[in-house]
Amino acid sequence: MKEFLDRILTISTADPDDTRRRRILNILLVSVAILCVIAITISLGVVFLSITKWENTSLIVLGSIVTLVGVMIVYLINSFWSGRIAAIIFLVLLTVMFSFSDSPMEVSSGRSLFAFTIPIIMASMLLVPWASFVFSTLCSIIISIIAISIQTIPNTPAIIGFFLIALVAWLSARSLESALKELRTINANLDQVVIERTQALTQSLDRERIEAGRNQAILNSIADGVIVFDKKWNATMANPAITGMLGIPIELLINKSFHELIEHTRLAPQSRGLLYAMIEHDTQPVGFRIEWGEKTLSISAAQIYDNRKENNTNIGTVIVFRDFTREAEVEKLKSTFVAIISHELRTPLNAILGYAEMFKEAVYGPMNGKQVNMAERIMKNTQRLLGLINDLLDQAQMEAGKLTIHIAPLKPADLLESLHGLLDKSASDKRLRLTSEIDDDLPETLNGDAARLQQILVNLVNNSIKFTDQGEIRVKLLRTDDAKWGIEVEDTGQGIPASELPYIFDTFRQVEGATTRVHGGFGLGLAIVKQLLTLMSGDIEVESNVNAGTKFTITLPLVIP
Amino acid sequence: MSELALIIEDDEDLASIFAEALGGIGYEVEHVADGSLAQERLGSGTVPFLILLDMHLPHISGGDLLNTIKQDDRFEKAIVILTTADARMGDMYRDQADFVMIKPISFVQLRDIAARLKPKK
Repeated sequence: MKEFLDRILTISTADPDDTRRRRILNILLVSVAILCVIAITISLGVVFLSITKWENTSLIVLGSIVTLVGVMIVYLINSFWSGRIAAIIFLVLLTVMFSFSDSPMEVSSGRSLFAFTIPIIMASMLLVPWASFVFSTLCSIIISIIAISIQTIPNTPAIIGFFLIALVAWLSARSLESALKELRTINANLDQVVIERTQALTQSLDRERIEAGRNQAILNSIADGVIVFDKKWNATMANPAITGMLGIPIELLINKSFHELIEHTRLAPQSRGLLYAMIEHDTQPVGFRIEWGEKTLSISAAQIYDNRKENNTNIGTVIVFRDFTREAEVEKLKSTFVAIISHELRTPLNAILGYAEMFKEAVYGPMNGKQVNMAERIMKNTQRLLGLINDLLDQAQMEAGKLTIHIAPLKPADLLESLHGLLDKSASDKRLRLTSEIDDDLPETLNGDAARLQQILVNLVNNSIKFTDQGEIRVKLLRTDDAKWGIEVEDTGQGIPASELPYIFDTFRQVEGATTRVHGGFGLGLAIVKQLLTLMSGDIEVESNVNAGTKFTITLPLVIP
Repeated sequence: MSELALIIEDDEDLASIFAEALGGIGYEVEHVADGSLAQERLGSGTVPFLILLDMHLPHISGGDLLNTIKQDDRFEKAIVILTTADARMGDMYRDQADFVMIKPISFVQLRDIAARLKPKK
């Protein structure tokens, strides 16, 4: 119904004011038409019910029919030609109709005067605001002519009233129009804003799409395999490189959970534990290795934080896989090479050592002092060479992850005894005192790797002897607390500059300066000590003052067998 | 009659040093330089008082020879000293041998140990 009304009432034009006026005219026309139909129906009804005679109503019926036809014509003009002309015709007809609707006396200065206010007011609405003055003039002329025709004086107050009404109509129509105009301006501005916003949004969406496309392109061209996991460890993104590494197509990889990947048959069982540990402990490892089928992959994980949100919410993890197969093979070859070389070097060195000892022991006849001294020097240098080879071998094994710790019950006192057996002579050769003590609290037997502890102890004490010119080297075994025991090696040597302290446990590093030339060596000793202790779940700390001495403190977990 | 020491060692220099160390304190020394020859030697002939066994040998490994020795009742009383450059391997066989010596082996050390092992007459 509403749609039907809208359709017959609304005329779309380019000018919104025109549209509005023509719509109002249509409403008026339809209203008049309805009134006419009602009038005809009632008139015919009362005739039909014999309440009154046809002669009394015929005028009303005919008048209504004529009006209806007029309304139809005006409606057609309004709808298909011009709203303005239709409105003028309608208003003129209305005015003329009012002029003859009553006796000339009533029309000129009686009860029908008010009827003329209708076209005056409507003119301002249907035409232009000032049209009300035109119609008030027209109406004034009409009532004046009628008044003169019946020989009365034109009704001046009525004429003034018409113009006052016209003024009010003009003012209200004008303000209505300006209000509507403002509204339209506001609407137009609003439309402009909407258009601008929409454009901006489209542009930013485009930009985002381009950016996303570029990111995907970057991801696709990275040689490393990349998988992005969400907070629940489901894969949300992956790049083509990962397909080659894992042998799983991207589409199968997406939405796969990390657990499924870990349980994949190609993953070596020993690698599984590492990956599970990574999830459980929420660590972000860098460069640990896993074995995937024939491949060795190096994994680095990093959590992704959304810095737009508060507290930098963690939104997932990105894992980068690097094919390490070739490097792993080279490393393995290297460590095998070092192991073989070390073994092959050790045998002839053992022979040199043995022959030198035989000289010293005068196996083939007595030797003079100088000869014995020379044999001793051969032995000492050979021992040094052997020590270096041992260090290299240990380092190679540690790098290959082959060096393991063998825990068995041991007696701390034995460690000290063999230490003295091995190094007393070196100390006394430099006129240094090598003293040792065991804390009473330390159990007589405890669990540890005797060979490796011995190696650590010899290494530290050897270092102390090397860097101490006078005074003593003091070794102390002690119980630090219920769960730990420790080893202290303290000397009165030249000390280590504070700037070098942070680096002394690094592989292949010696304190810079003259020491390198004086003492030689690869600088592997302390690095090996540190790594061995890490393997034993222990730790080592160092305090040192230049020219006052150095103190190494080792702590180890205390397990009593 | 002096005690027989069997040196199973593929490196000639080491074998000669060991032989000197043991011979010097009165052992009668016999040397085999290869795993399969050692296997042959162990199968027959005089049972040695002391066996100095290198773990790293051509053809038959020291570990296999050690098994042969352990399974043969004739060697029940024989003293076995293992020699190896690999400390880990030494640990592995520590229970099966009387002594394990990690290379480099000192002439003096071997001489002193072997001297202590000799029965006092």
